[in-house]
Amino acid sequence: MNWMIAAPEIFYFAAAMWFLMLSFFSKPDPRREHLSSLLLASLGVLVCLASVGAQGYLFIQAFTADIYSQVFKILLSLGLFLIIALCGNLPDIGERRIQDFYFLLFTCTLAMMLLVSAGHLLSIFVSLEVSSYSLYILVALRRNQDFGLEAGIKYFLVGTFASGVMLFGMALLYSSSGATYLSDMARLLPEMIGQPAVVIGLVLTLGGFFFKLAVFPFHFWAPDAYQGASNQVAAYIATVSKVAAVAVIARVVAHAGQESTYLVHVLVILSVASMTVGNLAAIAQKDLKRLLAFSTIAHSGYILIGILAMNPAGWTGTIFYALALLAMKFTAFLVVIELAPEGQNLQIDDLAGLHRRSPLLALALMVSLFSLAGIPPTIGFTGKFLVFVAAIERGYIALVIIAMINVVISLYYYLLAIRAAYLLEPAVELPALTPSMPIKLLAGISTGLIVAAGFFPYPFIRIAQAAAQVLLVGR
Amino acid sequence: MHMEPANFPYLSAILGTTVAGLIAIMLIPAEKKELIRRVSATFSGITLVISLLLFFAYDRSMGGFQFVEDYSWIPSLGIRYINGVDGFSLPNLLLTGIVFFTGVLTMWEMETRVKEFYALYFLLVTGVFGLFMSLDLFFIFVWYDVSLFPMYLLIAVWGTTRKEYGAMKLTLYLLAGSALILPAVIFLYFKSGLGTFGFVPLMQSGMSGTIAPWEQKFAFILLFLGFGILAGVWPFHTWSPVGHAAAPHAVSMVHAGVLMKIGSFGVLRVAIMLCPVGWSYWAPLMAVLAAIGIIYGAFAGLRQTDLKYVIGYSSVSHMGVVGLGLSTMTVEGLNGAVFQMFAHGIMTALLFSSIGYIYDRTHTKMVPELGGLSRVMPVASTFFIVAALASMGLPGLANFWGELVVFIAAFRTYPPLGVIAVLALVVTALFMLRVVQRTFYGPVDEKFSKLQDVSFFLGVPRMILAAVLVIVGLYPSILFDVIHTASAPFINGLPK
Repeated sequence: MNWMIAAPEIFYFAAAMWFLMLSFFSKPDPRREHLSSLLLASLGVLVCLASVGAQGYLFIQAFTADIYSQVFKILLSLGLFLIIALCGNLPDIGERRIQDFYFLLFTCTLAMMLLVSAGHLLSIFVSLEVSSYSLYILVALRRNQDFGLEAGIKYFLVGTFASGVMLFGMALLYSSSGATYLSDMARLLPEMIGQPAVVIGLVLTLGGFFFKLAVFPFHFWAPDAYQGASNQVAAYIATVSKVAAVAVIARVVAHAGQESTYLVHVLVILSVASMTVGNLAAIAQKDLKRLLAFSTIAHSGYILIGILAMNPAGWTGTIFYALALLAMKFTAFLVVIELAPEGQNLQIDDLAGLHRRSPLLALALMVSLFSLAGIPPTIGFTGKFLVFVAAIERGYIALVIIAMINVVISLYYYLLAIRAAYLLEPAVELPALTPSMPIKLLAGISTGLIVAAGFFPYPFIRIAQAAAQVLLVGR
Repeated sequence: MHMEPANFPYLSAILGTTVAGLIAIMLIPAEKKELIRRVSATFSGITLVISLLLFFAYDRSMGGFQFVEDYSWIPSLGIRYINGVDGFSLPNLLLTGIVFFTGVLTMWEMETRVKEFYALYFLLVTGVFGLFMSLDLFFIFVWYDVSLFPMYLLIAVWGTTRKEYGAMKLTLYLLAGSALILPAVIFLYFKSGLGTFGFVPLMQSGMSGTIAPWEQKFAFILLFLGFGILAGVWPFHTWSPVGHAAAPHAVSMVHAGVLMKIGSFGVLRVAIMLCPVGWSYWAPLMAVLAAIGIIYGAFAGLRQTDLKYVIGYSSVSHMGVVGLGLSTMTVEGLNGAVFQMFAHGIMTALLFSSIGYIYDRTHTKMVPELGGLSRVMPVASTFFIVAALASMGLPGLANFWGELVVFIAAFRTYPPLGVIAVLALVVTALFMLRVVQRTFYGPVDEKFSKLQDVSFFLGVPRMILAAVLVIVGLYPSILFDVIHTASAPFINGLPK
């Protein structure tokens, strides 16, 4: 066995163990812990980059390393690094728990890496559960007991329900096909995809992942969890965990769902419902994190368009979209975290006067929100464009028109936030914000990336295309 | 279609200059307002010079697309960075250069958030320039939205009457337009089977019938409505008077002067030229909507008391003339329509620029509150009156020719609509005269009697615009010759 192909997983396992050991034997020191986690996370990015060419199987083929999984691992490690970069000030996490916090972050990322590499139903389920359980605790870790605990329990209850549904779906799939490996399913399922049990099994299995991605009707947890969790954890859920969900849904649908019109119909309905519900509900939000939560729900609808197209262009678009989501959600949350040094929840009105308090953050917020709305020349637009092209190639032009109407609706609430940042003046004069140099740098780079990748997307499209090749199984 | 490569990337130089200006403005500290103004004027002046050069360097005997630049952009989707100008886009490019430069000068006296204003203004104009010169549908779409990107803040921060409402309404309407355009563009991309977003190959497949008739009809109506919203086509015009009234002066100038032309230019470039079959199918609808727009705009303008609303509604009416010209399917109709785009752009820019000067002094733009201004500030009033006369279609000024040619074409194709539209123009003349009389003649209000007339420097932008109106009015073939190089081959090449 070639263990090197699992180098990222081994590294993140070791990093998680490091924090576990620290919590046993050492007194917490927030500054030291932050620096060491930052160092480990950046090393993790390097490890993932170095193992991008890894290919092979481990654990009787339950673990697959291919270019698809490795690209997603880079995204995940990058996401973790970026989130940890924002953890310099963690007012919401008690000092006593700071080591547990980093332990859970690394465990969760480890589980997600296993998830994007999983090729067997069991390994998918186990890694999904490990990442979910880490997240339940991360949400509940918030010091403000009522908030965090309530959100954590809600998240947990909905999550376990979704897991149960997914297990049932997997059982149905197994009972009708006898297959537990995704590669076997890719071979067997196309002939039996017309059977109701198979379609239902597939949809229920996907339900577990839809919960992760916050697709309608599995989205109820999202606004509460975002609001209840500390800002950093909410940012983690909005970025890293979404990337993992996209990866696994695309892989499962590519393997199991080929050419199933039933499945496509279900996905179309879920996609339209997600974007519409997400966008309409977002209009009414006053809390910035809730607004971002509903916008995430809407975005899962757009991503599903790329997945349900089930063609190379669609997979490419989906992978690109995952990158886009990471970049723009991270930038938006960066502003949220910087604006709330005490870790409080931000209302949209709290953005008032931002353009004077910190022109850079205001610009970052505006660009990320326009990108979320899908206005060119931003990465968010390119992502939408790619999935729309894929959908129209398959003839789903009505779906694209509905999605575009949703884009118009979404611009309304994004503009409300931009209006607050650029037009409203605060009731009491607030001091200017002076983000630290690294944060300024991060904000500048991520804002620049959003625009640059919108104008010159081709390098990223090339990578996404290479990764998408893996999904063309059985063609 | 002839494509003449450029020996120097003039078109990218225009875009590069606006982007460089944008970056330069961003780097100047916000307190140095005077420097920011000077830098803005310099960079916008350079774009004006280049666009003038292009206008006169364009080889009228050769026609086709000239100054073409072609680079690969996203090969996997067949997206290329192709720029080129023909007889349709050249006048619009020049128009943008003129309005851009005069707009910077018009806003010279503004003091609030100068840096942000000029940065956003440059971004807006970059999108406009890009759209007029791009020959790739992907880029056309991107530029369309780039020009929309800064609009909300430009109006909501620096605007006046009901600015937040106007800004929100305008932004959402225009984005709704792009929601129709994008699916149609991707649809054409697949139906042509060419795997390219390039305008010229797609146009050939539309002409030759590779894109089936029903597909052209379907795509045309989406594109027409999508771009039509921006062109102020009735009944999707309601954002326009509200938006114009709310916007700051230079933005009103760019907006009514240039941005609405993006709409009608998009209808011509993308909808009509790519889907000729769809065009002939939907032309009657276009004509009816245009005629309603002409009449509606004229009568609605009659009831307004806010100067900017008056101009806003007259824009709806005048853009109806453009739409009517586009719907006739004749060489004259297209010539007149493109000519009218240019003439109307300069004329409204002058109107908004003059109102800007007056408003900055009197702090009102309500007609009943003004009066006798021609005695207080005779020069400033003259500018407005010249533009108003042009708007009435007075011979000797640019608009006369555009309207005349369009109406001749319309009389032939749709006689009843032509008659109604001409009658509606009488109403326009009526309300313009009424506004001029109430605002500039009659008794002088005491509180305005001490106001300064426009100084020479502040008068420069208005002089430029007025001079263009007169020059083109006296010598219309300077434009018609150019437009004709594009319209005649296109109409003659239409499938029978």
